[in-house]
Amino acid sequence: MNDPRGDHLSVVVDLSPTQWHLSALQPPANVYPLPLSSFLSQLLAFLNSHMACKHENTLAVFGALPGKSVMLYSSTNPAKNLQVMDSNSYPPFKLVDTTVVTRTAEELDALGDPDEEEPLGLVGAMTKALCYINRITLPPAQIPGKKQGISNSLVMPEPRILVLSVSPDHATSYIPIMNSIFSAQKLKVTIDVCQLYGPETVFLQQAAHLTGGSYIHLERRDALLQYLIMSFLPPPSIRKVLSVPTQDKIDFRAACFCHKTIVDVGFVCSVCLSIFCQPVPVCSTCRTKFPIKTLQRLNASRPPPNATNTTRTTTGTPVPQSASNPTTPALTQPTSTNGSSVHRPAQARSSLSQQSSM
Amino acid sequence: MPPRRDAEYMDVDSDSDISLPDDDYDGSRAKGKGRSKTGERKSEKGKGKAKDNQAYTWEASYARSWDTVQEDEAGSLQTSVEELLARGRRRRLLAPAAAVRRTIIRHLILLLDLSSSMMDRDMRPTRFDLMLQYAREFIVEWFDQNPLGQIGIVGMRAGLGEKIGHMSGNPQDVLKAISERHKLEPVGEPSLQNAIEMAKSTMSHLPTHSSREILVVFGSLTTCDPGNIHDTLDTCVKNKIRISVVALAAEMKICREMCDKTGGQFGVAMNEGHFKDLLFELVPPPAQRASRAAGAGATNPAADLMMMGFPTRLPDASPQSFCVCHNELKSEGYLCPRCQAKICDIPTDCDICGLMIVSSPHLARSYHHLFPVKPYEIVAASEALSERATECHACSRPFPLTPAASATEGMSPVGRYRCPECHNEFCSECDVFIHDVVHCCPGCGK
Repeated sequence: MNDPRGDHLSVVVDLSPTQWHLSALQPPANVYPLPLSSFLSQLLAFLNSHMACKHENTLAVFGALPGKSVMLYSSTNPAKNLQVMDSNSYPPFKLVDTTVVTRTAEELDALGDPDEEEPLGLVGAMTKALCYINRITLPPAQIPGKKQGISNSLVMPEPRILVLSVSPDHATSYIPIMNSIFSAQKLKVTIDVCQLYGPETVFLQQAAHLTGGSYIHLERRDALLQYLIMSFLPPPSIRKVLSVPTQDKIDFRAACFCHKTIVDVGFVCSVCLSIFCQPVPVCSTCRTKFPIKTLQRLNASRPPPNATNTTRTTTGTPVPQSASNPTTPALTQPTSTNGSSVHRPAQARSSLSQQSSM
Repeated sequence: MPPRRDAEYMDVDSDSDISLPDDDYDGSRAKGKGRSKTGERKSEKGKGKAKDNQAYTWEASYARSWDTVQEDEAGSLQTSVEELLARGRRRRLLAPAAAVRRTIIRHLILLLDLSSSMMDRDMRPTRFDLMLQYAREFIVEWFDQNPLGQIGIVGMRAGLGEKIGHMSGNPQDVLKAISERHKLEPVGEPSLQNAIEMAKSTMSHLPTHSSREILVVFGSLTTCDPGNIHDTLDTCVKNKIRISVVALAAEMKICREMCDKTGGQFGVAMNEGHFKDLLFELVPPPAQRASRAAGAGATNPAADLMMMGFPTRLPDASPQSFCVCHNELKSEGYLCPRCQAKICDIPTDCDICGLMIVSSPHLARSYHHLFPVKPYEIVAASEALSERATECHACSRPFPLTPAASATEGMSPVGRYRCPECHNEFCSECDVFIHDVVHCCPGCGK
């Protein structure tokens, strides 16, 4: 604990206006409504407690907005125009609070009122956080005309990223999210995920699992601050001795490229590794044609319609499947139905919208 | 051309010098051969030039690693660091930006020379120790980039080919095979033919859509073969086995021929660093050359559709059960989606139903080879700076306000690099980081 170096925390906040609107709806729609304003005040308390843990701790806050991503605050380059200081508050806290709140308001106002919301810039925010961590973990050297803080001169011991997400997965962002997960692994960055609203996100679940972070799907949304402080405030090394909630079961299933359904047995193109839920004669990604012989063989070896269904349900029961229960109908059907390709796209779409399949 | 202290060498063709680390050995022979080589030779030559101040290993009386870094007028090392960055960038820009078909599922046999010539000390501590050390790093890096690949290890010792490690997709198994140094003690003469025959037979059963590669690390200048090695070579060509050779001593005609005929890469290591470079050049999946393939028309015989299973990972707290691979009671593991067998580690083939089991992150790890980030354009000093962003789009580092006085080729004088898709500007460090590690542009998110 006498380590002179501080921990670095990058927080990625999902600021999707639509999702926050849905999240703030009153009881019939939500059991525990959570508007953005009350979320922000709880987030600020969490950020302040991170800074209070240790003087050397550093902080960066990124916002993911529709179609773009911005840095809201970073402790290495604080805001240029300092506000009038309140004599009743601790200046660093005040600085974080005002910067984050004003920048968030600015960015949300700048969004305007488009008819259709662009996809969320979550990937951009995550890669920015990674670039920022890469920058501060590098030895100081060449930043001209800039004061070297303590944080800059020493290597961060445990950088981590906390993603506070309210949006469902976006199928198109699968590859970039995977790439950022792998680079986080290389940088030894832990990614923690807190899903505040909406369905479970498979991508972020995998992100937390692969980088050794924790994934929490918020149940009592009125207790957000408690969740944040209990599970995300301690750095990963301390979490080993605390009992932080862990994921019980991780889905390594993939989404097929053709209908975006989640499959457990898929057909993979040997050239580009595109995944399909049924044998196809031509790969849609790289236009490779597959030999007829293989197609016939694969079609013959596919499980008969009802077999998979029964094995799934019977053997599935001993395994704690509570989390992924809603997915199972969508999962079993595409593989089990052999000829009913007519229904498949419809199923796929519905499962995509509810379940945000990968 | 690298500096030569010896006057009598000046007349030797510069091309052939580079792959000639053993001075008194074959000076005249290489001189004649050097002229016919082009292609790869050029790149080797470029490398030699880049490491300008470095003498050859056998010429250096002691290591002068500090000579490669030059201080600038202000006494700082920044310019040297930037030059290194620029070199990396230039190499990346040379790479084809268009989509290249690459082999994703690779099978590699690492042929290690364990003959007595590996005990030479021209590479410190010995060629043998250095080879083992680099081989370990190579294996780790290789599996990182080719998660669906498999590596087997064959040694060349006492005139025989010796199987050291079976073909395996688990890096730990492969590393374990070469972990015990005393079991690999070099002795006797190497036999290329025996070893290649052995490697060939271990790969004969592999499906056609996967690549078959042999990487030879060869320290000897001789090979003692029982038969005609050219016959072996011909069967390798027929079986589409790609042979690459990293020689530690000098260029041998048969090695060069093997690489040329099978489409592999050949290189002679000049020193320790170059040895590592040559080895690590073979880590990224090789591009498939359409012209060389037998039926290079509309159908590619190498392509195939594979059936794969994506398992579910069981938590640590689940009830214990036996795994099919070790017959041990375990609580964690993966369930085969087809037969529900419990498997300890993936990727693997299910022991019960034979289904290939991978996790989707394993597949995704290869996607960046297929969808690379476009190289960023260099922003020239002449472009107006006034209405541009003042800080890097990714890490918010402020850009320098005044253009640097001396900018080397491939570097932006204003320290800005622009994405051709989203037109955001990035600093040089983020540029390198994005292209080497993240593989995803923070501006456009692809």
